[in-house]
Amino acid sequence: MNARRTAPWVAGALALLGVALVGLRAYTRHAHQLASGESLWRLTYTVKFESETAGARLSAAFPFDTAHCRVFRQSVLHPDLQPERLRSPLLATREVDLLTLRPGEQSMTARFDIHLSRRGRFAAFDPELVLSAQARAEWLRSDKLVQADSPIVAETLQAIRRDTPPSGDLVQRLFDYCHHQIAAGEEGAPSDAAGALQKKTASPIGCARALVALCRANKTPARLVTGFVMEENDSLESRVWVEIRLGNRWAPFEPENGFARELPYNYLAVRRDGGEIVCLTRGSGLETHFAALRLPPGPGAGGSKPRSLSGLADLTRLPLEMHEVLSLILLLPLGGLVTAFFRTVVGIRTFGTFTPTLIALSFVFADWRTGVFVFVFVLLAGLVSRAFLDRLKLLMVPRLSTVLTLVVLCIIFCVSLLDMLRLTPSAQAVLLPMVILTMTIERFYLTSEEDGTGFALQLLGGTVVVSLCCYFVLRWGAVGRFLFAFPEAHLVTIAALVLMGRYTGYRLSELLRFRDFGPARKPKEPQP
Amino acid sequence: MMTRERLWAWPAELRARGILGINRRNADFVLPANPRSHYPRVDDKLLSKKFCEARGIPVPETYAVIEQQGDIRGFPDCVRERPQFVIKPASGSGGRGIIVVAGHDGETFRTPGGTEFELAEVRYHLSTVISGLYSLGGQQDRAIIEQRIIRHAAFERIAVGGTPDIRVVLYRCVPVMAMVRLPTRASRGRANLHQGAVAAAVNLRTGETFGGVCKDRVISEHPDTGATIDGLRIPFWEQLLDAAQKLAEALEMGYVGVDFVLDATVGPVVLEANARPGLAIQVANRCGLAQRLEYLDAQPPEAFTLARRAELVAALSWMR
Repeated sequence: MNARRTAPWVAGALALLGVALVGLRAYTRHAHQLASGESLWRLTYTVKFESETAGARLSAAFPFDTAHCRVFRQSVLHPDLQPERLRSPLLATREVDLLTLRPGEQSMTARFDIHLSRRGRFAAFDPELVLSAQARAEWLRSDKLVQADSPIVAETLQAIRRDTPPSGDLVQRLFDYCHHQIAAGEEGAPSDAAGALQKKTASPIGCARALVALCRANKTPARLVTGFVMEENDSLESRVWVEIRLGNRWAPFEPENGFARELPYNYLAVRRDGGEIVCLTRGSGLETHFAALRLPPGPGAGGSKPRSLSGLADLTRLPLEMHEVLSLILLLPLGGLVTAFFRTVVGIRTFGTFTPTLIALSFVFADWRTGVFVFVFVLLAGLVSRAFLDRLKLLMVPRLSTVLTLVVLCIIFCVSLLDMLRLTPSAQAVLLPMVILTMTIERFYLTSEEDGTGFALQLLGGTVVVSLCCYFVLRWGAVGRFLFAFPEAHLVTIAALVLMGRYTGYRLSELLRFRDFGPARKPKEPQP
Repeated sequence: MMTRERLWAWPAELRARGILGINRRNADFVLPANPRSHYPRVDDKLLSKKFCEARGIPVPETYAVIEQQGDIRGFPDCVRERPQFVIKPASGSGGRGIIVVAGHDGETFRTPGGTEFELAEVRYHLSTVISGLYSLGGQQDRAIIEQRIIRHAAFERIAVGGTPDIRVVLYRCVPVMAMVRLPTRASRGRANLHQGAVAAAVNLRTGETFGGVCKDRVISEHPDTGATIDGLRIPFWEQLLDAAQKLAEALEMGYVGVDFVLDATVGPVVLEANARPGLAIQVANRCGLAQRLEYLDAQPPEAFTLARRAELVAALSWMR
């Protein structure tokens, strides 16, 4: 059987297999019943505030994965706010800083779909197996709310030590003291450690701070954790508990309800420094609202067993940090598909085969205005400097490396310039494919020298048109989410590419090129 | 009555005229007929030359091959006794990286168009050729210094600033279509059609030119000299077709374009072979390639013997 006959069969088989696999997995996911003790939840943050100037900063902490909890889907909407992603290795939490671009009313909505497991079946990554000296110092520190060096703390610790036999568990005694001796206070009750120990009454956070201060005074690292107790509630309150370093692990203690060393599985940790979940600097009128809703089992919940074959294809089970990168990689074949279509069916020529895809991909993750500004500036500056370099008669590799260096400098300069003009740049604008840009500059220059500027501009125009089409396909969020949930759908992409690879019809550009072969039209006779 | 120019042709119209598109050329002819392992035979001009020399097909004499950056120092000695020569990348394409030197004094090198290069500039050019700037895959390349072909007097009035070349496209070692490419001012003396060179069809049977095309548009006069490009009989035509068939056989490429130049004294000299010859030859011939290739595919194997190929060529030359 020759290739012409085989290709449609191969494409058909691949497409069918792709559709069947997607269908099968979608069906099994919907049909999947969560194991006993497992549940799916949706946690929603709704935040509103006012900023009088650009540059107000909203910091929000997001839930992170633990043995009992896994965030399998996240979406954050923040119109008019510029994200600055931060990840503190010390705190091992997930936070985002959002900067306002202009004054006025601002809002942010974040939604997290969370899988809770009573058995604690998720393999949580614990970067704090060994506590660094810096971290240890941080968690033994005394501050104005956790006054570990205050006399009342030292006095209380001394008294508890006296009552604890040498073989006794001092940490447990400290916890018991806070749980039993410090009464839950009304509004206005002390919320600092010294006040709580002094008055023997405190707010829940005051009680937790007292336990942290006592531990720190005892030279046992301790810290506050802010989070939620997941229960269906459209007005969820944040909770605070304590983590105390015991051996080489952090053990949770919750003095308010008396949980020691083990918390109920529905305690969802969000922040590890005792701060608010959402805080605002240089703004006013912060309104935060948290809601939790139990979800039915559904796609993306990661119901598959981690070590099964279906688990291998289920990318949603991977840590949330990998989702964005993997979605990006999964979108690349679509760029290839668009490029193949334009080159094989339309007949548009471009600089390099995958240059348009990579340029489009970089624009998907950058603010397009910043991206276009940086792209045009770099291209123009690169071409001018390339023309100048031609006079120096440099060898090819050093010349290309010089252009690359200039491209890098131009991008950095552009970001700085945009900042100076108070057009806050997107940090992702620097994700522009620098090597690809360098090669495009080199090819543009050589083509204009060898084949004329008109031909070079024609190629550049083709590159821009294909990049634009790739951009619109790649920023179609629903496609990215679908491919992430069902990567096997790319079998259909391969099927389309196989069919395109055997397309022997005319390219659209050839209908123009060979137009003289069509019968010439006769103009209408003039009317008398 | 004047006819109105069309903006495009419908696929059915092109199919009816037997026009071959790039996709079909690649999928149905280039891929099945040209084994990938044989591509170096056409992509590497030094290897192509060896194939030609082994079969007694004339090629421009090679004066020197510069393979390393260090060898560039010896360049002035290579060309001291050669007043005219050509510098060419061994793996170049589309005429890129070629410098024709019509005269020099060892320090200043002059092209036929009158442009002058200093020795340092020529050395830099050699260096960029070796770096792979003009090579097909961007790989390190070699620079060939070879004989400059002197244009045959037959082309005096219809070639400006360079040497015309003759392309013969062969399928299964049978010449299926031919054209002559005439340099113009717009193409800066190069015989490259996309740069503005003129192409004129050549009747396979008689070796006589007819029709013409420039930038994919039909013309009948040279845009610079105004001379008619119709009716020129290409000298040594039989010899040229014979050499093209011998080379296609030697290269073992089923679908190949062979480029010749006509030397004033030697006659047809092979410049290079191409595994993916362009499709503008159809516009020049005002005839589609597909119908000719399909005609050949329909012939029995015994029709392709050397003795009977002339009959096939004659039959193809009547196709319109």
